Amino acid sequence: MEAIKYYVKGAFVGIAETPAVVEQQEELISDLTAKVADLVADGRSKEEALGMAIASMGDLSGLVKEFATEEPAVPAAPAEPVAPPAVFVEAYTARLRLHVVAISVGLSIGALFVLTILGVSTGAVNGAAAAADMLLGIAGLAWIAYTVRVIHAKPCVVEEVELRSGANLRNPLLQWIGVCIFALLANTIISGEFWAWTVWVGATAWPLSFYVEQRLLAAGKFLHPKVEAPADSVSAESNAACTATSVCA
Amino acid sequence: MTVETPISSDLIRGHIDTIVLGLLSGQDRYGYEICKQVGILSDGDYELKEPTLYSAFRRMEAAGLISSYWGEESQGGRRKYYRIAPEGRETYLRNLEDWKRARTLIDRLVSGESEKE
Repeated sequence: MEAIKYYVKGAFVGIAETPAVVEQQEELISDLTAKVADLVADGRSKEEALGMAIASMGDLSGLVKEFATEEPAVPAAPAEPVAPPAVFVEAYTARLRLHVVAISVGLSIGALFVLTILGVSTGAVNGAAAAADMLLGIAGLAWIAYTVRVIHAKPCVVEEVELRSGANLRNPLLQWIGVCIFALLANTIISGEFWAWTVWVGATAWPLSFYVEQRLLAAGKFLHPKVEAPADSVSAESNAACTATSVCA
Repeated sequence: MTVETPISSDLIRGHIDTIVLGLLSGQDRYGYEICKQVGILSDGDYELKEPTLYSAFRRMEAAGLISSYWGEESQGGRRKYYRIAPEGRETYLRNLEDWKRARTLIDRLVSGESEKE
């Protein structure tokens, strides 16, 4: 019954031979063969029976198309937008943090003081803003002091740091906006003079620190060098060197 | 089995699943067997085409109404048998009820139209 096989396989030309397609072909061949055998048993000649069976089978293209449409559906499925995976790098975090905090707090507190001096010279700054200035300045210095303490305690600690994409930088920005709104609300409730601006300017240290961290990492600063030698011996070595000299790299 | 189909196949198409489920509810069958049985039950007035049947098999198997397994070797190769699943029986009974109600309703509606005219 080679003719049946050729007929069935021919109907599936251009369709990938997936297991489902092969099974469907086998099923069609077995059913067509049974039909031909029935017709022959009714007294038809083999050729006649084959022609009748194939004719009564009708158009296979509709069925074949069902298999064709299945194929592209499979690779198309994972094309949905997927959040990019988080990328981590190994870095000397203590030293990284000190630099990040020093730069971002330095910039925001610096901006604060410049603005305060400008405000004083034009008479726009009042007592409340000066007090808020003082508090923010102390908080900034405390933050820097904390990172300095960390670097003395664990100078060479290596940790994974996430490389943030633009989408991840959105969160600290939104938090900063939240602080601004909160300060403005507090300002209107307490209804003192307009001291809230000092909080906005001071709080920019927060999103700024994330930005500075990413810039430093992108520039390749404070990254833990990739080691080719067995990790154990090298890390032990560098740790020993660290504790002795307080310098890591 | 005649090649021509005197009954409009559009009228029957919507009931292929019910017909197949009904034939499977008594025993497991393979594709050609169902085509043959439809020919016998309809006295040759309706011929179920294989592509239509296999499309119905695939659809109903994907929906969990039937399952399939490979049976004994015949002269043309292995035979694929279909078995009705419990969900298939539920669907069959529901479709049967729906059909009976629809038949009564359509009978009334159709004859009502013709009486008016």
